[in-house]
Order: sequence, then structure tokens, then C-alpha cells
Amino acid sequence: MLRLVLACALGRLAGRLSRLLGRGGSALPGLVAEKICPRLIEELAAPVRRGVVVVTGTNGKTTTTKMLVAMLEGEGLKVVANRTGSNLARGIASRLIEVASWRGRIDADLAVFEVDEAAVRPLAPRLRPQVLVVTNMARDQLDRFGELAATAAHAAAAVKHAGEVVLNADDPLVAEMATGAATARFFGAAGPIRRNMPHDSSLYGAEAGEAPRPVLDLSLERADPDGDGQVIELSAATGERAVARLQVPGPYNGYNAAAAVLAATECGVPFGRAAAALEATRPAFGRGQVVDFRGRRVKLLLVKNPAGFNQAIRLLAALPPGAPVLMAINDLDADGRDVSWLWDARVEDLAGSGHHFGTAGIRACDMALRLKYAGLEAWSETDFAAALGRFVAGVPEGETGYLVPTYTAMLRFLDLLRPGASKREAWS
Amino acid sequence: MSDLVIAHLYPYEMNIYGDTGNVIALRRRLEWRGLEARVDLVPVGADYDLAGADVVFGGGGQDRSQLEVADDLQRRRDAVHEAVAAGTVFLTICGTYQLFGRRFLTQDGQEIPGIGVFAMDTIGGRRRMIGNVVVATPWGDLVGFENHSGRTLLDAGQPALGRVKKGFGNNETRREEGAVTANCFGTYLHGSLLPKNPGFADSLLLRALRRRHGEGFELAPLDDSLERRAAQAASRRP
Repeated sequence: MLRLVLACALGRLAGRLSRLLGRGGSALPGLVAEKICPRLIEELAAPVRRGVVVVTGTNGKTTTTKMLVAMLEGEGLKVVANRTGSNLARGIASRLIEVASWRGRIDADLAVFEVDEAAVRPLAPRLRPQVLVVTNMARDQLDRFGELAATAAHAAAAVKHAGEVVLNADDPLVAEMATGAATARFFGAAGPIRRNMPHDSSLYGAEAGEAPRPVLDLSLERADPDGDGQVIELSAATGERAVARLQVPGPYNGYNAAAAVLAATECGVPFGRAAAALEATRPAFGRGQVVDFRGRRVKLLLVKNPAGFNQAIRLLAALPPGAPVLMAINDLDADGRDVSWLWDARVEDLAGSGHHFGTAGIRACDMALRLKYAGLEAWSETDFAAALGRFVAGVPEGETGYLVPTYTAMLRFLDLLRPGASKREAWS
Repeated sequence: MSDLVIAHLYPYEMNIYGDTGNVIALRRRLEWRGLEARVDLVPVGADYDLAGADVVFGGGGQDRSQLEVADDLQRRRDAVHEAVAAGTVFLTICGTYQLFGRRFLTQDGQEIPGIGVFAMDTIGGRRRMIGNVVVATPWGDLVGFENHSGRTLLDAGQPALGRVKKGFGNNETRREEGAVTANCFGTYLHGSLLPKNPGFADSLLLRALRRRHGEGFELAPLDDSLERRAAQAASRRP
């Protein structure tokens, strides 16, 4: 008890000092506090009245978490969440400390945490989630995890520590995790959407959308583009149906919405109200977010791996010809040091799009080379400010330009688009 | 009729780390010279005559698929040896490269037999060797990204592809990378390898084209300045 109080106090102090020094990053308080009280996460999370929900997977964690939190808060529940995407143990510890009283008590109905797909293995037994959501498993940052099978094994090991699991039935690596679970619920999509959302093993043209899958508890029936977002229709196994307009585009966000609604209903939110809450959920940091800049609209499409890149490519390919597109590739730890994945993305699908391409970031030339071998010309500029200037100059006033960055490239651009934005985001 | 036939071994099973980019590069570099390639996909279990291929490519995979592929490759053992002896061009990367050696001993002591085109053994280790690599070769410096836990040891008489200038290569002690037997090349370099190393890509193409169309065959030069800039940027990264 005393140790916990001390850990919280010193953690908070570390956070304040770090902010005074103008440093971003929400990990320090947790890092400090966990040194003092190694069972900090267990002790702070255990008293949360209705338990913990964990969202993991390679893509869609942040968006799914954001949607789920909106649904729960819409019910008047008090929710603790790591909204900044700081999804390792220290990030979660930091968030818990931030909301704890000086005596180390947390007053909350529910905690919702997005957790990194490798960190989920050690964290699941500590958080003992009521509900564990697994969005999907695609190849991502293989320099960090070694292999996709290893990544999937981490999530599969976490499953047995959860009260129940909410799984993507259309992703075989995720669906098979049900074997280790106490109770499993499945979300998925109707045929045409499913065929457009190939899972990892079908990245290379093997049949998608045909393999047998578990019976769905919630199905994404329709996902039609609408402005910056889309209109989706969800149907539950109970026979209930709902239509909602999402502020985020792409069938993958339809899947995220289905995951969030199913998780929310498992937490006791009525289906219709969960679906309605989707409409007010704003895009998460860089995931379809639109930033106004010098009279233009810059739409951010964060990419981290071939599956995510293919989703961005599908969006871009559907635009009228002539769209200015800037692809920005960094290779820092948070991006993945190996840029080989650019060759797994279906960049060829952009041939004939008539868009204007530029490339930026530490590995701008790798991206330009990928475009060249897809038959597309692109300029490249490693300096971020120069690249942004050149990109924006190609966007007519009042029109939209598309920025497709990896994670750290996105932070650099956000600081240029909205000075101080990445730091604010890290602390908000 | 196509000017060159490229056989892509195990495109569904061994496709991690963007190795497909090598096939894209070979095909494009022919197209840019007005030549045409046919790409045959050869998955596990496919009935395919390797004698009809000019270039055979096999990429890296995950452990799970490597077992399945090892079995299939045993069936093709004689056909591969005959093709190598006949001068067919092979490019094998990471997982396929390992299986072109005599054997792979996994970390838990399991032995996966290879087909012995290269006189070498690979031993599974705990630590993964990950990062950007630069290798000095007769085709200039090759730049790529490695990610493997197997340590490959070449026999004394087995020529390597080159000497490691940066990174690990075959193992962390000997500073040699890859293997070469006749026109069969093996390497740990992903990246993808060929787009950023156009000189090596053209050398593979030229070997195959001369074998098929006669020794006088030449390739028109291309503007590779973007390729060189990308290679340079990669070689400076950790």
C-alpha cells in the first residue's frame, strides 16, 4: 500500500518534470513507478468496478479502442483508457497513475486499453481482462517480432487469461485463437467486403473470402463510401440491425466498428446504442484524420505494414484522377527498421490512377523506387519541411491532398502542419 | 513467345519480407528493354518442369512454411541439381537459401534435410541477426536487410557470394555472406535485394539471356540513379 502510494507520487513527479523540460512521450511516469512498485498495474487495475477490456492486433487497435470508449462513455460509464496509443506496459502504468488518487485508488467503471500485440502476452495475466478483442494479425515490424507466427502466438497465449474473447472470424490466425478461450464471440463481414479485405495468408492471391469460418455474432453487411467517411450496416445474430455513418473511410474501419460494437454489447451496452455512438467518434490520430493547412485539406492515412498500405492504396485508387499523394517512409524503431514490406504492398494497383506522387522521409528513395517499379513516377525529398512545401504547392486551394506516412514520419509532419501537435497528442 | 521464363518457387509459402520485389525487378528491367518475361508460379505440390525455366527464384519464409517447403523441395532434388549443372540461373534468399544447403539443424535439435546444392549447414540459434547489410561482391557492393536466426557455415571449398562490410551475413563470426555454385546464388539479403542492386539484377538476367539466346546477347543500359540513391540511403542505416 505504502509502496503503491510512493510509486504513484514519484511517477507523477517524473511526468511533471518531463513536461516542464518540454519532452513528449507518456512512458516515463509508468517506467519510474513500476521500478518502485512492480505490481503497480495489478493493484491499480483490480479495483476497476466492471473490469478491464484489452484491444490488441496488428492493425486497428487505436480506432477500435476509441470507438469502444465512446460507446461506454455514452452509457454514462466512467472509463479509463490509454487514448494516446502508448500501448506498452509503461504506457498503461502511466495512464493508471495519472487518474489514480494520491492514495493509489482508481474511481472507474471500466478500463479500456489498447495493448501492443507482443506486450499483450505478459500483460494479460496482469490485467486479467473481462473482454479481450483481437482485431487482426498481419505481418508488421518483422524486424522486431521475427515472424508473424510468433506474433500470433503472443496473442494466442494472452487469450487464456481473458474472461471472453472477441475475435475477427475472417482472419484465420485470429479465429483459431478461440480454441484457447473460455468464451469466444466473432465479428466478420459479408462476402463482398470480406473478399476485399484479404488476410495475411491471402496477400499473395490465394483465395480470400471463401474459407470456412466460425458463425458470426456480428456481421458487417455493407460499407459504402460517403464523403470522408462511410455508411455501414451491422447485423447481430440476435436479428437486430443498425445503420451508422462513420467518420473514417475504408472497409477495415468497418471491421473496427464491428469489433467495437460487439465488445460493447459484451460489456452490457444495448446494440442499437453502441452502433449509434459510432457516428460521433472522430478519427484517431492520423487514421483518416483531416488537417486544414494553408487553405488546403491534408488527409492523413497512417501505414505500418502491407495490409494497412493496401487499405490506403484501395482508398487512393478509388479517387478521381489527379490527386496529390505524398508517401513518407521512415525506418526508425517505431516504424520498423526493415522497409522490405513496401514490396509486399499492391502499389501496382495505383498504375493508371492519374495521381501525382511525391515521396519523403529517411527512406524516400525506397518508396520512389517501389513506385518506379510499379510504373509510376515520383519526386523524392528527404527533408520534411521541403517535402511538405512541395506537396502542398501541388494541392489546389480548398482541395484535398493525401499524406501516407509511417508512424514517426507522421509525427514529423503533424508538427509542421500544427506546431506542437504531436506533443499535445502524446499528453492529451 | 517470351524472351525469358522466370519460375517463382513457393510464392504463397515463402513470401515474407518483400522478396516478391525481386521478381518484379527482373520482369521490369526486361520490359524497359523491350524484352518480355513469363513468370510461372510454382507452389508446394505443383507439377512443374524446372528444365523449362531460365531463372528460378525462391524467397524467405516463416518456420511454419519452411517445413512444408522442405518436403516439397526433396521431391525436386534431382531436377534442381540437373538445372544447376545445366547453368540455369537461381536466386535463393534466406529460407530457400538455407534449404539449398545440406541441412538445417533447428534450435530444438530437429534436422530438416536440404538438397545440398551448396556445401553448407545451417544451425538455428537463439539470437536473431537483424539489420541493414552491405556485402562486397564481384558485382559491387550489395545492400539489403537481413533477419535470420540460422547460422550458415560454408565448407572450405564452397565459394561465398561476398564479404560482409556491415551486418552479419552467414553467421556472426566469419564475415562471409551467401554462397555461389555455378549460376546458383544464395543470400540472406532481403530489401528487396534486386531493385536496390541493379548491377547484380542485370548480371543475373544477362547470364540467363546469353544461355538462352547466345553469348553475344547484350542488355541496353538503364538510368539507375534512383536505385543507387536508395542503396546509398539503406547502406547508411543501422
